[in-house]
Amino acid sequence: MTTTSPVPAAGAAPDSGAASATLALPPRYRVPGWGVCLLVAIIGELAYFTLTTRQFAGGGQGMLNLTEQFAPTGVLALGLAMVILTGNIDLSCAANASLAAVIAGTVLDKGGGPAAAIAAAVAVATLVGLFNGVVVALVGIDSLLVTLATQFIITSVATSVAGASPPFGFPSSFTLIGQSGLDYVPIALLVFVVIAVAVIVVVGYTGLGRSLTLIGYNPKAARYSGIAIRRSLTSVFTLCGALSGVAGVLLAAYYNSAQPDIGTDLLLPGITAVILGGMDIFGGRGRIGEVVLAVFVLGYMSQGMLIEGDSSLSITMITGLVLIGALVVKFAFERNFRQRMNARMRRLRTPLHRDADG
Amino acid sequence: MADHEAGAGADYQARGITKLFADTPVLRDVTVHFRPGEIHSLIGENGAGKSTLLKIMAGVYPSDAGTLSLGGQTLPPLTPRDAQRHGIYLVPQEPRLMPDLSVAENLYLGALPTGRLGTVAWRRMIDTTDSLISTVGLRADPRLPAGQLSLAQQQLLECARALSHGCGIIFFDEPTSPLTAHDAEQLFELMRRLRDQGLTLGFISHRLDEIEAISDRITVLRDGVVVAREDGTTATRENLVTAMIGRTLSIARRAVRARAPGEVMLEVDDLVSPPEVDGMSVRVRAGEVVGLAGLVGSGRTEFAEALFGIRATAGGTVTVNGADITGATPRQCIDAGLIYLAEDRGRNGIFADVDIGRNATSAIVGRLPRLAGTFMRPRKELELARSAAAEMDVRASSITAAMKTLSGGNQQKALLSRWMLAKPRVAIFDEPTRGVDIGAKESIYAIISSLADSGLAALVISSELEELVRICDRVYSVYEGRITGEVAGDAVTLEALGQLAVGA
Amino acid sequence: MTTAGKVETAAAARRELARPARWSWLLRRREILVTAVIVVVVAASTAAHPYFWSSSNLAFIFADSVVIAFLALGESFVMIGRGIDLSVGAIMGLSAIFVGFRIQNDGISLPTAVLLGAGVGIVLGLGNAILVGVVRLPPIIATLGTLSVYSGLEFVITNGNQVDTIPNSITDLGSDTVLPGIPVILLLTLPIVIISAWVLRYTTFGRSIYAVGDDAEAAYRAGIPVQRVLFSTYLVSGLFAGLGGVAYLIYTSGASSTTGINDNLTAIAAAIIGGTALTGGVGGAFGALVGSVFLTVTLTAMSFAHVSDVWQPAGVGVLVLLAVVYDSRSRANGGRRGAWRLRRQRARARAGGAR
Repeated sequence: MTTTSPVPAAGAAPDSGAASATLALPPRYRVPGWGVCLLVAIIGELAYFTLTTRQFAGGGQGMLNLTEQFAPTGVLALGLAMVILTGNIDLSCAANASLAAVIAGTVLDKGGGPAAAIAAAVAVATLVGLFNGVVVALVGIDSLLVTLATQFIITSVATSVAGASPPFGFPSSFTLIGQSGLDYVPIALLVFVVIAVAVIVVVGYTGLGRSLTLIGYNPKAARYSGIAIRRSLTSVFTLCGALSGVAGVLLAAYYNSAQPDIGTDLLLPGITAVILGGMDIFGGRGRIGEVVLAVFVLGYMSQGMLIEGDSSLSITMITGLVLIGALVVKFAFERNFRQRMNARMRRLRTPLHRDADG
Repeated sequence: MADHEAGAGADYQARGITKLFADTPVLRDVTVHFRPGEIHSLIGENGAGKSTLLKIMAGVYPSDAGTLSLGGQTLPPLTPRDAQRHGIYLVPQEPRLMPDLSVAENLYLGALPTGRLGTVAWRRMIDTTDSLISTVGLRADPRLPAGQLSLAQQQLLECARALSHGCGIIFFDEPTSPLTAHDAEQLFELMRRLRDQGLTLGFISHRLDEIEAISDRITVLRDGVVVAREDGTTATRENLVTAMIGRTLSIARRAVRARAPGEVMLEVDDLVSPPEVDGMSVRVRAGEVVGLAGLVGSGRTEFAEALFGIRATAGGTVTVNGADITGATPRQCIDAGLIYLAEDRGRNGIFADVDIGRNATSAIVGRLPRLAGTFMRPRKELELARSAAAEMDVRASSITAAMKTLSGGNQQKALLSRWMLAKPRVAIFDEPTRGVDIGAKESIYAIISSLADSGLAALVISSELEELVRICDRVYSVYEGRITGEVAGDAVTLEALGQLAVGA
Repeated sequence: MTTAGKVETAAAARRELARPARWSWLLRRREILVTAVIVVVVAASTAAHPYFWSSSNLAFIFADSVVIAFLALGESFVMIGRGIDLSVGAIMGLSAIFVGFRIQNDGISLPTAVLLGAGVGIVLGLGNAILVGVVRLPPIIATLGTLSVYSGLEFVITNGNQVDTIPNSITDLGSDTVLPGIPVILLLTLPIVIISAWVLRYTTFGRSIYAVGDDAEAAYRAGIPVQRVLFSTYLVSGLFAGLGGVAYLIYTSGASSTTGINDNLTAIAAAIIGGTALTGGVGGAFGALVGSVFLTVTLTAMSFAHVSDVWQPAGVGVLVLLAVVYDSRSRANGGRRGAWRLRRQRARARAGGAR
């Protein structure tokens, strides 16, 4: 949300006139309102849980360590966010993460080193993402259906690869990714932050990111502007696949095992984080930075509740309620906002599609 | 619940109707009287306000001033459903039917006939549909999904809907533009029959021969004002054309070209893109402004879209600045120097919720200044957009204002800044001043002119003849996907274009 | 415009009309096509494994498909209206658990169980109905949210226990056969399918779902209460999912905290295979049944072919992809929306009728 006023003075009179064009450049930094709300929520949560649960803060280190648990969700949410930015969705990303975890575990079990395990896991997940992208972008099928189907196919593959006894007990050179830290900062958190920065840069500062955003806002206008829609969509699903692979690796490292359903629980929090972060499910609107904040909001919320003693199932339910709640609030706010804007715009707005005849 | 006798016509008057779209008056104090047992035609150029008037009278738009009176009684503000209940129905230009539902269901949409127990009476519905659609001359199986009907059949179905609602006042908004002569004749037979039954009929068409053949009365609109009322039997074509295009006022003031046109920048040979484009050849030189005149539905926009890679081509070649770009994608066209300002700005042009800056740079994302070759530089980009927009005289509070907050004229100028940032050699402007007020129109004409002066090869598609006369050096006329004529220099006059455009 | 030209166009027009495709024929074509594939799969499987064609196996298949059929039936209602319900599996699970415990602990009778299941389903479906119909959330988000809430509830209600004792009087319905290969439960389900088909075809409510799915705005302008229709479709979906829960108990004689979690896609897959599309406006009750049977037959055939159960989800996924690709191809060529046909006809008409 910007702070510049959107009401053009020119609307009240025909454009011919002496008023000089006041196309001022915006101030360098704008404070995003929703981001502030999320930040406040995080601080509030941390304060609340520190006060009510002894084990939570652990002198600050505890708070940092907790991020290891939801860093995988965060990475997944970042990939999802890019896809949702274009107005599509990837329901298979969580299963993809599971597959990646299983593959990493299998490579480790067979004696491969951590590097090989990570490479294999991410590579496979990226290929899955590529498949999704090709079917959506080139064959032209709705992403909901495609990824719903791929989700189930990958689940079978993961279960099959995992076999009767899924891999577990990995060398510490691997598990340190998910369980230990550099000085005070958990490696998983570092990975998440680095990826978050990369995604923010890609979305905000690269041609691909700009293309994705424009596609999300208006695919037709994007086409007429010469934006390579098929290439961009294929890329974004591939990227989402890659990030799902990273999430899977983090999961395997954290849990020190690779059950074929290890990632299933990530889908709901992932989507919730994206929506809570203010992204529009229909595409276009949204900032990755706020999604990152939302990841922390949800992450600390569920961790805090876990430590308090709530079951993980009620956490699932609460997350579901947060998902619904976030959208209800957003819709109500927007409807109100839209009504006020419409009242102002009625005088100024040209119907964007005037009749051929006039 | 109908306020009228089923299927009986009535007096329906519009008095003093005024309508503005964002401060652009589209209708000014218009009074038109539709009587039962008459086919009353509205004619005028595009933008004259004919369609808007009928839409107001059918409840699709509210008017800003004036009254509607039915049978002597003033009506309250209408919605389409209210209008239907009063017996008024507008057959739209593009039939809007449910493609997967059967013809019968489309006919009775929202009011399916029910039998005992309140269940849908299919047998009865199909039988009545059969008889009803045969009265309009539609021969189709009532069980067929409506999406499988031809356009002409869909239009007849819309007429049948009007009758099924018991409407006695039926308006036809340009029903014949996409129809063949045969289908149009079928429609006219229907209209004459309805007229003889005493219904009140309104009709819009661009084709003067049709108007002459079928009208009992003719009202001519120009620029939102009634300029002539004629009787169908005594009207002459000269009178009608003169009334439509008006006297030659300052609009005939044509820019004197200080430069001689340069090389051929756009060369199109025999372009075919079924079914609308049937072999069109066009040449535009650097520094020339060339117009494409024609009726709605003549295939001009389809032609442009085929050039620009939005539509598939089935034959012919396109050369821009010497390079063959036949079948190229939009991106390739832009990179080769060809840009296209789309006709439907709202759907295909602007990103409504995106700021002006990003709208302006959307066509040159790949060419923006980069850090280390990859990373965009928002400040520089904004500066670029800002100066481009300022050059086009876009009036807005800030470059970060959302595009949808701009008036039509400013949006169009912002789009022009987008396309000019792409540094084209050839530009196709499709209806560049549609939905734009007078001041911005002048502005846009000046922009196009100065761009041509700097060497741009401009192709202007417009349904406003005055516009073409004003800014074009040469004008092709297009009819049903073919070039039917070309006038150049001093021969570009309103009269000449008027004759060509109305199929005379 | 010569008279020759006129005649040519008229003749062409008449030719077009000479082969009217009955809409009902078109719909039946899809269901017939799927039934034909079912027959092929059954034949192939029986050829390889004779036991496939046995009364108990066929009964087993049908009973299994009944559960999915209920879910697919409800899903069809929603999808015809251009919506989606991702929570049907969870609703079914909750219904199975709730009703199961009542049967297990309180010994309620079957009719009571059915009513209870329906009630649970409607209440849970109400959640979706309000979110989509009243609050107007996008269906995918709304049902994703309710999916997680209801899945969580499954664990909460079972509280560590599970349903494992269902009296034979009830479960026999799933295995007893009236005719060879036709379990009682299928016979009990058929009336429901028939009633659903009847509602979809012969009630204004049913027809308005198709209208809303095809073009909600035009439906609204024609006076159809769009939000109310959407609201009702989610209630129906919940209702059928609830009944599906009872069917599940009959078929498996048990229920646990994870019941139904994976059945969401299967329900959607069955609906899509049976001819309902995500974009709304087409589909039907018999399609849901046929699609469910098809899925169950194919998955069972896979088992018989010694394909590990692990691959069953993949099987469903692949079948969905195939069905969806087939749909999009036939849409592109046959012009479900008629746009292509329109253009071709226009082209032909123009060629014949130049003025």
